[in-house]
Amino acid sequence: MRGKELLKQAFALQETARVPWVPFVGVHAGSLMGVSSKEYLKSADLIVEGVSKAIELYNPDGIPIVFDLQLEAECLDCQLVWADENPPAVNSHPLMEGIALEDLKIPLASEGRIAVTMEATRQLREKYPDLALYGLITGPFTLGLHLLGTEIFMKMFIDEEYVHQLMEFCTKVCNAMTDYYKEAGCDVVAVVDPMTSQIGPEQFEQFVTKYCTDVFAHIKEQSLYSSFFVCGQAQHNIEVMCGCKPDNISIDENIPLELVKDICLKNETSFGGNLLLTMALLLGTPEDCERNALDCMDIGGTKGFILAPGCDIAYATPKENLLAVTNLITDTYRQDVIRALDAKVSNAELIDKASYGSSPKVLVDIITLDSGSCAPCQYMVEAAQRACEPFGDRVVWNERSVKTPEGIEFMMGIGARNIPTLCIDGEIKFISTIPPVSEIKNTIEERLNLK
Amino acid sequence: MADLNVLYESIVNGKLESAVAITKEAIAEGISPQVIINDYMIKGMEEMGQRFQEGRAYVPNLLMSARAMKGSLDLLKPLLKGDTSNSMGKVIIGTVKGDLHDIGKNLVASMLEGCGFEVINLGVDVSSEKFVEAIIEHDANILCMSALLTTTMVNMKEVIDAVEKAGLKDKVRIMIGGAPVNDKFSQQIGADGFSDNANSAVQLAKELMASN
Repeated sequence: MRGKELLKQAFALQETARVPWVPFVGVHAGSLMGVSSKEYLKSADLIVEGVSKAIELYNPDGIPIVFDLQLEAECLDCQLVWADENPPAVNSHPLMEGIALEDLKIPLASEGRIAVTMEATRQLREKYPDLALYGLITGPFTLGLHLLGTEIFMKMFIDEEYVHQLMEFCTKVCNAMTDYYKEAGCDVVAVVDPMTSQIGPEQFEQFVTKYCTDVFAHIKEQSLYSSFFVCGQAQHNIEVMCGCKPDNISIDENIPLELVKDICLKNETSFGGNLLLTMALLLGTPEDCERNALDCMDIGGTKGFILAPGCDIAYATPKENLLAVTNLITDTYRQDVIRALDAKVSNAELIDKASYGSSPKVLVDIITLDSGSCAPCQYMVEAAQRACEPFGDRVVWNERSVKTPEGIEFMMGIGARNIPTLCIDGEIKFISTIPPVSEIKNTIEERLNLK
Repeated sequence: MADLNVLYESIVNGKLESAVAITKEAIAEGISPQVIINDYMIKGMEEMGQRFQEGRAYVPNLLMSARAMKGSLDLLKPLLKGDTSNSMGKVIIGTVKGDLHDIGKNLVASMLEGCGFEVINLGVDVSSEKFVEAIIEHDANILCMSALLTTTMVNMKEVIDAVEKAGLKDKVRIMIGGAPVNDKFSQQIGADGFSDNANSAVQLAKELMASN
């Protein structure tokens, strides 16, 4: 099972056969096609092409159509400033510039880039009927902040009524956006409200709970699933976020996943996160990303957990890093290898690579997960065995399973990174792909001639 | 007689009107501005800082306290003319070139101002040249830079290079902040410190002033 059906199980807190994967691809899809964020976010055709490309590469179970928290704000007269490699930024707050709240109108599905996004959603729905399509909407508090600026924080004390009126308006915008996404064919509506991280739980309950609860109830009425995205240090608000009754809560690396898991499961809410956006995905190596993903998967488990980055994937994130995560999700051998490598080997002394293999006999070592359970490992061991046979006792072969401390010690000492790997006298000769027996024989022979 | 404990409470609870009223009373009664500021107002802000650190207060509370503090300070400043002992220091603050995010930067500016620093806020998308010009023009002690984007955080290094080139590196202390930056990055680019929230930014600014 995969795609939408797998995610439905996670939302319903049922056991999933594997962890569902939802890469939050936003403007990163523009980089996959070599177009700027500005071009990308303004064209339904480019969005369809970019998301299709990301689906092809990253094999997700669900994917956002567009990740841009300025979409509604732009239609509500906030000025935007565009960048080549980032989503746009809000540059003006209409309610601070003489526009009255009563004069703001709920944007229509046919307006501006909302129309572009809905068109892209319709096309992607048709193209990918089995994937979960996420429609992202700006949460009411963050939209309120776009409209009023940081003044909203002070108004919470000096003009509470006004903040409630503003939140009421923003809730109507959220509900209208939900309707547009429903009509266009989305399966999940994600309410992205990062600015709530700046307020305390009591302030959240006073100014946000009622409105977000309304938004999530409306999503449910439309027979859609919901997710509550928050980024930043919002640990103090997870409990009250659960109180708004979303199907899922998704967080970034600022909050420990263990904690979110505990609170969410206690509140019968599924949860997701929290791959490191910058330190692993953008700036790390594929191995860093695998380790980070595996940490998340091991903490999250397979009940109600969705693996996702903490937020919108950065434009320039190397696709190799996301591919490493993609492959790891279905590759249980690789998962076991990484776990084994990360297991602490107490007092292990690494082998001396320089002197290893200096004896008169040729040493053939096959680093495996375990040839009994890993098919490629089994074939590599068999090939090595057959290649060694004709040389009698002049060649000694050993399987080095990384399920044993000695095997890990050996792998680390040799500097091997893949399973299976075949080494001759301590030198890595064949990686992952099983070579023909004759090729292994020739390599052994060359080595014997040097003795 | 002015009850200065009420002033302290007003700062903590972010009550501008009552803070201003007590301050006016205290001034009329001839209480020393230094006593009002140091023994009550700054103590109120310190209490808020502590509550923020412990998760008992949040950004809106800090902003309200800073607003009350500023309201009182505005009344006291004219009485301090020529007396620099209560000036915490001059700060230039801005979001670096290419970056238009101002929420975090404005929170830091408000907090610094509320805590007695003189703050010159250059806004967003600020070039290296503008930062350098402002440091010279205002004879600043501290430069604060913000960036929210991984693509613009690198511009912080350019600003530091420009400050160095202008011969100002020994004169001005440099602080950075923003979602993608951390302590390691701060050290890499040669900043004097990093802060991940508005409250600890004030602490850092105080430490940097003390070490100047």
